[in-house]
Amino acid sequence: MFSKKHLFLSASAVLLLAACGNGDDETGDTGDTGEETTEETSGDMNELTVWTWDPNFNVRALEMAEERYQEENPDFSLNIVENSQEDVVQRLNTSLSSGVDTGLPQIVFIEDYRAPSFLNSYDDAFYPLGDYYNTDEFADYKVAAGTVDGNVYNVPFDTGVTGLYARTDYLEEAGYSLEDLEDITWDEYIEIGKDVYDQTGIKWITNDHGDLGLMRIMLQSSGVWWTEDDGTTPYIADNEALKMAFEDYKEMVEADIMNVHNEWDQFIQTFNNGDVVTVPTGNWISASIMQAEDQSGNWGIAPIPRQDMEGSVNASNLGGSSIYVLQGEGQEAAAEFLAATFGSDVEFYQELVTEINALGAYEPAMEGEAYEQESEFYGGQQIFQDLSEWTQEIPEVEFGQRTYEIQDILAVALQDYLNGADLDEVLQNAQEQAESNM
Amino acid sequence: MTEMTEEIKKTKKGKLERNRIWMSWTFVLIPTLFIITFYFYPMIQAFWISLHTGTGVNLDFTGLDNYRRLFNDQAFITAVTNTFIFFIFQIPLMIILALFFSVLLNQKTLHFKGIFRTLVFLPAITSLVAYSLIFRYLFSNDGVVNQALMFMNLIDAPIFWLGDPFWAKVLIIIAITWRWTGYNMIFYLSALQNIDPGIYEAARIDGASAVQQFFRITIPMLRPVILFTSITSTIGTLQLFDEPMNLTGGGPGNATTTISQYIYNLSFEYTPNFGYAAAVSYSIVVFVLILSAIQFRVGRERK
Repeated sequence: MFSKKHLFLSASAVLLLAACGNGDDETGDTGDTGEETTEETSGDMNELTVWTWDPNFNVRALEMAEERYQEENPDFSLNIVENSQEDVVQRLNTSLSSGVDTGLPQIVFIEDYRAPSFLNSYDDAFYPLGDYYNTDEFADYKVAAGTVDGNVYNVPFDTGVTGLYARTDYLEEAGYSLEDLEDITWDEYIEIGKDVYDQTGIKWITNDHGDLGLMRIMLQSSGVWWTEDDGTTPYIADNEALKMAFEDYKEMVEADIMNVHNEWDQFIQTFNNGDVVTVPTGNWISASIMQAEDQSGNWGIAPIPRQDMEGSVNASNLGGSSIYVLQGEGQEAAAEFLAATFGSDVEFYQELVTEINALGAYEPAMEGEAYEQESEFYGGQQIFQDLSEWTQEIPEVEFGQRTYEIQDILAVALQDYLNGADLDEVLQNAQEQAESNM
Repeated sequence: MTEMTEEIKKTKKGKLERNRIWMSWTFVLIPTLFIITFYFYPMIQAFWISLHTGTGVNLDFTGLDNYRRLFNDQAFITAVTNTFIFFIFQIPLMIILALFFSVLLNQKTLHFKGIFRTLVFLPAITSLVAYSLIFRYLFSNDGVVNQALMFMNLIDAPIFWLGDPFWAKVLIIIAITWRWTGYNMIFYLSALQNIDPGIYEAARIDGASAVQQFFRITIPMLRPVILFTSITSTIGTLQLFDEPMNLTGGGPGNATTTISQYIYNLSFEYTPNFGYAAAVSYSIVVFVLILSAIQFRVGRERK
C-alpha cells in the first residue's frame, strides 16, 4: 500500500512536470523557425536559440544574418523566439535569478538602457565578446553600454541616433528652411517654434508628459545622465543639464507649442495627420513617418538641437539595443556567429539599411553604397549618411543601473514642476528620494 | 460453516476498513503536499527573501531593513495611497450598482432577463487587453467619450483622461467598475433567489413600500453576501495590477501606480531588487488581513 501511495505521488508529479514542459514548448514554437524545441537545441550546437522582439526589425535582421552566415556554415541555423520586449526582460530576469541554466537562449537582445542592470545583477551570466570583434570600429557610446569592469559583453546593433525630423513645407510657409534648424540650441529651437506656431497655427512638437525620452536626448547630447559615472549615485539636484531640460520643457508647454499625446498610436497619428511640424526623436521613427506617403518630399532631418552649455553637441541617442551571449554550451559558436555578421560584415550592414532601414553603429559600414542613397521622401537628403555621421559624434554616457527607476521619480517631479512647483525644490526632492532608494 | 464465513467477513471488513483509512489519508495527503509545496513554501521563501537586499542574484541578508525602507519610500507610499483611493471609491460604487442591477433583473415582470443578465455579466469575461485597448480609444483626448461630453455641452475642452492625474484615477475606477459589477451582481442574484417570496408577500400585506422592502428586507437578507463580495473585492483591488498596467501604465507620473504594479516595477522594470519587492508584497498581506478583520467586525455587529 505504501508503495502505491508513492506511485500515486510521483505519477502526479510527472503529470505536473509534463504540463510545465508543454508550456515551454509552446512559447518556443512562436519563433519563426520553431519546429524544434529549446530542449532539443541544447544538444545540437549548430542551432542557436535567440530571444528578441520586433518581427519587422530585430527578427528580420537576425534572419538576414543567419542567411549570410549559412553560406560559409551550411549546418548553422537559428531558432528565433520572438516575444515582446517586456516579456524578454521578464523571462530573462526570472530564469537568471532562479539560478537554473537550462531553458536559456544562447543569444539575447537587450536594450542599452537596461544592459548595465543585467550585467551587474547577474555576475558570470554573460559571455565576454570583446576578443571576438574589433570594438574600436563601433561608436564608443554603443560599446560602453555593454562594458563592465573593462570587459565588453555586447555586439552593438541598432543605433538610436536622433534627428530633428521636420516638415519643410510648413517651415517654408513661415519663412524658414531646414538649414535654420541645423546646429541650433534648444532655446533657438523653441524661439523658431513660437514663430512658426504663430504663423501657421500648427503645433511645433508633440510629447507625452510621462515619456522623458526628450530629457534623455538632451542629457546625452551634453554627455551626462541622471546617475553619476558609478551608475548608481543619483545626479539630479546639481545637474545643470537636467535643470535646463526641465526649463526648456516647461517653456514649450507654456508657450503652447507642444501638442500632448498619451500613447504611441496617437503620437504616430499626430505627425501622419500633419498636426505637428517637428519630431525630435530616434531614427527608428523613419518608417512610421514614411507611412504618410502623401507627405513625401515634405520632410527633412536636421541634427538634434544641443543644450546651451559647454560640451553639448548636436548629436544624441534614444533607445537602441545590443546583442548579448549567455554563458553556457554554445557560447563560442554564438560569439563567432555574431562577430562574423554584426561584428564585421560591411555588406551585411548595407543590406540592413536597404531592406529594413536598420542603422548600425559600425563605422566602416558607412563607406558602403547603401549609405549614400538619397531618400526621395526626405527631399533627396542622404539621410543614412547624415545619421551615421551623427552617430559617431554621440557623447558616451554611463547609463548605469537606474535609468528607468529614476525616470519614474523624475516623471513625478516634472508633473509637479509643470503644475507650478519650484524647480530647485522639485529636483532636490527627487534627488533625496532617489538616494533613499539606494 | 457459518462461523467460518463470519470469520472471513470480519477479517475482510477489517481489511476494507484499513484500506479505507489508507485511501482517505492518501487523498488528504496529496493535496496537502501540493498546498505546502506551492503555497506555504513560496510564502516562507518570499518572507526569507524579503529579509535580503541587493540586485538580481547578489542578495545580502539585511534583516528588517527592507521593511524600514517602506516607510520612507515615496513611491511606495504613493502606490498605497492610490490603491486605497481606488478601493474606497470603487467598492461602494460597484456594490451599490451591482445591488441595483440584481434587484432590477430579479423582477418577475421583466422580459428578456437572460439577455440583460448576460449583458451585465459580459465585461467580466472580456479579454483584459482587448477591453483596455478599447477603453484607451474611447477615452483618448479626441475619443468618443470626450466628443460626446462636448456635444452635450458638459465640458468646453477635452478632458485628458490619460494625461491628468485626477482623471486618470477616475478612468481606472470607471474601468474596474465596468468590469466587475456584473460579476458581483451574479452573487446578489443568486442570493435574492434564495429569499422566501413569502416574506415580501407578508411585507406587502402590512403595507411596506418597495423602498422599505429593499432596505428592510433585501439588504439585511443579503448582508452575508455583501460582506463576502466586499471582502473579495477589497482583496482584488489591493492586488490591482491589470488595469493601471494596460490603461495608464501607472501614469501620469505615478498617479495611478498600484502596490502590485510597484512590485512589478521593482522586479522587472528597474534593476531587479527581489528582496525589496518581496517586502512590498508582504505589505499587501498585512493590509488584506487588517481590512478583512475590519469588514468582518462591521458585518457582524449589525447582526
